[in-house]
Amino acid sequence: MKRYDLIVVGAGPAGLSAAIEAARCGMSVAVFDENTKPGGQLFKQIHKFFGSKEHQAKIRGYKIGETLLAEAADAGVEVFLNATVAGIYLDKEVLVQIGAAMEHFKADTIIIATGAAENMVTFDGWTLPGVIGAGAAQTMMNLYGIKPGQRVLMLGSGNVGLVVSFQLMQAGCEVVALVDAAPKVGGYGVHAAKIARCGVPFYLSHTITKAEGSDCVSGVEISQVDEDFAPIPGTQKHFDVDTICLAVGLSPMSQLLKMAGCNMVDDPRRGGQVPQVDENGETSIPGLFAAGDVSGIEEASSAMIQGRMSGLAAAAYLGFLSEQDKDNRLADLEIALDSLHQGMFAPGNKGKTFTKTDEGIAVSQSLLKKGYLDDADLERFIHRSDQTDEKSGIHPVIECTQNIPCNPCQDACTRGCIKVGKTITALPRIDATISCTGCGMCIASCSGQAIFLVDEDYAPGYASITLPYEFLPRPQKGELGTALSRSGQPLGHAEIIDVRSAKTFDQTTLVTIKVPVEQAMTARFYQPETNAAGQ
Amino acid sequence: MKSINDRSQDIGPFVSQTDDAIIICRCEEITKGEIRQAIHDGMFTVNEIRRYLRAGMGLCQGQTCGKLVKNLIARELNVIPDQLDPATSRSPMRPMEMKVLGNEEVSHV
Amino acid sequence: MNRISEHPILGETEKGQLVTFFMDGKSMEGYAGEPIAVALKAAGLMVHRYTHKAHEPRGIFCAIGRCTDCVMIVDGVPNIRTCITPLVAGMRIQTQDGVTALEVNE
Repeated sequence: MKRYDLIVVGAGPAGLSAAIEAARCGMSVAVFDENTKPGGQLFKQIHKFFGSKEHQAKIRGYKIGETLLAEAADAGVEVFLNATVAGIYLDKEVLVQIGAAMEHFKADTIIIATGAAENMVTFDGWTLPGVIGAGAAQTMMNLYGIKPGQRVLMLGSGNVGLVVSFQLMQAGCEVVALVDAAPKVGGYGVHAAKIARCGVPFYLSHTITKAEGSDCVSGVEISQVDEDFAPIPGTQKHFDVDTICLAVGLSPMSQLLKMAGCNMVDDPRRGGQVPQVDENGETSIPGLFAAGDVSGIEEASSAMIQGRMSGLAAAAYLGFLSEQDKDNRLADLEIALDSLHQGMFAPGNKGKTFTKTDEGIAVSQSLLKKGYLDDADLERFIHRSDQTDEKSGIHPVIECTQNIPCNPCQDACTRGCIKVGKTITALPRIDATISCTGCGMCIASCSGQAIFLVDEDYAPGYASITLPYEFLPRPQKGELGTALSRSGQPLGHAEIIDVRSAKTFDQTTLVTIKVPVEQAMTARFYQPETNAAGQ
Repeated sequence: MKSINDRSQDIGPFVSQTDDAIIICRCEEITKGEIRQAIHDGMFTVNEIRRYLRAGMGLCQGQTCGKLVKNLIARELNVIPDQLDPATSRSPMRPMEMKVLGNEEVSHV
Repeated sequence: MNRISEHPILGETEKGQLVTFFMDGKSMEGYAGEPIAVALKAAGLMVHRYTHKAHEPRGIFCAIGRCTDCVMIVDGVPNIRTCITPLVAGMRIQTQDGVTALEVNE
């Protein structure tokens, strides 16, 4: 039986972060993970993260994963893969299956960071091959380079459903519809807008009533639901699909904590059965901590901070870190975590309906029902007059209308044209007195792909629009295609007048299209003539 | 005493529903109707349903259906799901062959 | 085709050596080290097993080894989670029927 100062269960964002902090304090640390690869779900996250600099905002999840692994190796953390923890027993004894052997380990502290499992919904035919979880879709396309299907229907409009829908299109699949039983989009509006402008229709207050097919999925039937979420007869719609993707929430995988004897609570706001923990993740058992989704469903950004906090707390528990050093370092992390816990999507606001932003602007109902801003919303959120009364030329248009914790756009503009302020959930404001150079850094830095550069004076009768583009094939200068509206409707011909990619843009291509000037505020996406992205 | 443990409470007769044939436990192929019937037979906890029907006792050990079964019980008993305990957590947490669990083929490191 | 040849963010997927394996007796190709389920999916195979009671088809569901729906008979051993078991050259995969191999007419 081998002994470690700290055993971490789960090599995802929380577990690795915890292990790194503890090992840097001088602790011997072992991390067990049942998977063949470390990093948890991070390597499936190919989108840019939200948050602020200290949360590694605008960096794609899989790159954060690579950094964490390198840090863990540097710190001397031992990561055991294909190592399934079978049980945790008295006095922190841990039983692990490694290969075909059961190994016993002993720890002085334990951090459980086992993450979450997907929730499921049932409907007629839900066991048919072709009905898959959203996590399965991400695993297939982003880890193993395989399409989950050709034509996909997504159930669930939370961030997972929205992000995975976009990723499915990036992988070359067609998303035929996004369906949610709730009456409004659950995830970030900017994520919804990204897929709406590719032409994906949103069916809110709808649910799947049947998966069709004999040996595998060949179609799907959805129905509108009433206020009690019961399907309304006669409202059925049919889609030909080969894949149905389910993204209906996550539950903490907290069985090990329960087995270890921690006091558990059932907290719907945290996703289900979770351990009772203090602010550093310590459970009712001294020296046993929980970090990340296992103690409450949040984003990976929060999980990494929680992991670091529990790692430091474990170090202090064993005397590897003085109480004073612990308090100092935890204080900074608490501020970082707190800034993620603000805004409309804060864990404490789960289930709440907001009618106004913090700034007092009425929220876009169109965004919540259809996934895109309508013309009336633009007047409230995009102050065209401020920007063009006296000035002309290129300027940013920021279609960020919800209070979400994110501010990379502020740092992206070297001229200081974009301001978010200290509260990172505030809506970005544009300082119209500063002239824009059109560098495009704001576009590439926006994780929500909600920033566009517009020039109404590009040429007589024509405007130029620069937009973020993350599909293949990359458009070529001089190419002719179609300009799409925010709802993905074709507006007319668009000519590609510039295509920019740079290392700092991190795989986001900046595509500039030339459209008739009256489309300056309506055209928001580009579709090549052949083999359209997402079509 | 939690109201859900009150075995004398009358939850009414079992009334069949149109979607009773839907599978809830994918591994053991237990339907919604079977689980609802079991609740009306007096199985008021997730653990009792597991032992009575084997729902959640298959290869995946209730990873997929655990929450679904809990919600079904809550609905039949007319309580909120948070009031129900989940199934007992015990080793092994994942499907493991008995010969591995017994360390039959490998000497200790 | 189910394989993504080039991805706008991830570029080309790193793959192992192209190897031959056997699916219900038929020769197939896949990349060594990728999960068996991925190799089968690339070949368009959807049904991994038929259930014991209702004889219903099942395939990939969670793809991370949790749900156990994608289990098949691998080199004679039943209940192998194909979504987390790496493909090895020459592997013999069989559609599972209940807990035994599906009888295949060749």
